[in-house]
Formats: sequence, structure tokens, C-alpha cells
Amino acid sequence: MITRRDLFKVAGVGAVALVAAPGAVSQSFGAKPKKISIEDALKEHLGVGLSGLKESNLINVKAPTIAESGANVPVQVSANIPVDQVQALYIFADANFNPWITTVEFSPMNGEVFFATRIKLAKTSPVRAVIKMKDGSLLTASKEVKVTVGGCG
Amino acid sequence: MARLGRAIVRVPRRISKGQVFKVQMVITHPMETGFRKDKKTGKVIPAHYITKVEFLFNGKKVTTLHTGPGISKNPYFAVKMKATESGTLTIKYEDNKGGKWEKTVKVNVS
Repeated sequence: MITRRDLFKVAGVGAVALVAAPGAVSQSFGAKPKKISIEDALKEHLGVGLSGLKESNLINVKAPTIAESGANVPVQVSANIPVDQVQALYIFADANFNPWITTVEFSPMNGEVFFATRIKLAKTSPVRAVIKMKDGSLLTASKEVKVTVGGCG
Repeated sequence: MARLGRAIVRVPRRISKGQVFKVQMVITHPMETGFRKDKKTGKVIPAHYITKVEFLFNGKKVTTLHTGPGISKNPYFAVKMKATESGTLTIKYEDNKGGKWEKTVKVNVS
């Protein structure tokens, strides 16, 4: 049975918790990551922004049109370019906190330009593949992926 | 995680000379971004992810992957390779906390 005295005790604990709560909230906001825009991420890794990339239909990006979970989105990139002309392949997800996903360095021993992995997507955004050629030119192709539940929790 | 850093690598059993084949691998790794919070304690889980994966065939570099926390948990990677001779494929990988692992597989080319 709850007496009046007990009730006051519980109420007292609640009041203390309420006072302490604002501090905890501001702390968790402090840990929020800073979002890097796709433009900045491209500049950091490639030296140029979106305008420096050339759309190319030689690159083939395979990803689902609708991904149920953003935590696990299969992406496959292949290109109709001889591997000895390619220096590296970059994958970016435009809307992620850090859009850069991975860089793949190729060598002639690869035989073909091909890479597959599974990535995280925060929300609906294009998945962008950029290929850096040995002559310095940058080719790109992207595929829009709709995400129902984000995966950068 | 007791099995942290374990990997499974798959190559075709029979490869003919000059054929381009697929190498697939899965690493057991949490791939924490450093942004996620523990729901019970409210503390931020520190970042812990694979940073580099190197594929070497008979000691020669085939592919190097530089990866960030944008790769899914228990990462899967697939690359293609062209083999002209039999040998061993060594895969070296490391994470941002200093963990280093190595995995070797035999490649039989007939």
C-alpha cells in the first residue's frame, strides 16, 4: 500500500531527475557530428567539386532502387574501361554525415574494373561512383537509392 | 566481440589461365561510426572501423581499399583478379584502433 509519505519520496526523486536532465540533454547534443557536404568531401579526396566531374555512361553502378534498411545497401560498380588506364575508384553517398565511403586502388592484375561492397546510407540519396583515370580526368556515374530506414544511427 | 577481425575469403575452386575471377570476403567487425549512442548508458560508442584492406598476390600488390565508417557492419568486399599462375593470395587488413590481421588463400590456376 502506498502511504502519503512514500508518495512524497517518489515525487522528490522525480524532481531531482528533472533538474539533472537538461545537463544530460545538452551533452548528447554536443556529440552530434558535423555534416560534411558532398562538395567538401569531393574537394578533400579529389581536389575538385561536383563541377569538375564528367558524367560517363561507361561506369555502371548497381544498387537497389528502394533499400528497406539504410544499414546495409549492396552496391556494385563496374566500368567498361581498361584497368590499366584507371588509377582509383571512389564511392560517395551524398547525404551521409561523411559522404566518402571508400577508395579502391587498382592495378593491371585486377583484369577488370569491378568492386562490390555493402554500405550505410543515412537517408535517400544518390550513390556516386567516381573513377580517377591515370591521365587525371574524373568520370562519374550515380544511382538514386530510396531509403526507408536510415542506417547511420 | 570475441571473433573480431575474423575473415572468410572465397575464390573459385578451378581457375583457367588468364581467366578473370572474383574474390569475395567478409570480415567480422562492428564498423562503429563514432556517432551512435549506447541506448542504456547514453554514452557515445567510440569509432571502430576498418581503415585499410590490401590484396597481395605472390607478394605483389593487386588492390588496396581505403575504407571509412560508411561501410556496413561485418563488411563485404568483392574485387576481380586475373591470374596467370598459381600462388597465394594474402589479404592484410587493419582498423583504426591498431588491430591488424592477415588471411591467406591458395589460388590454383590450371
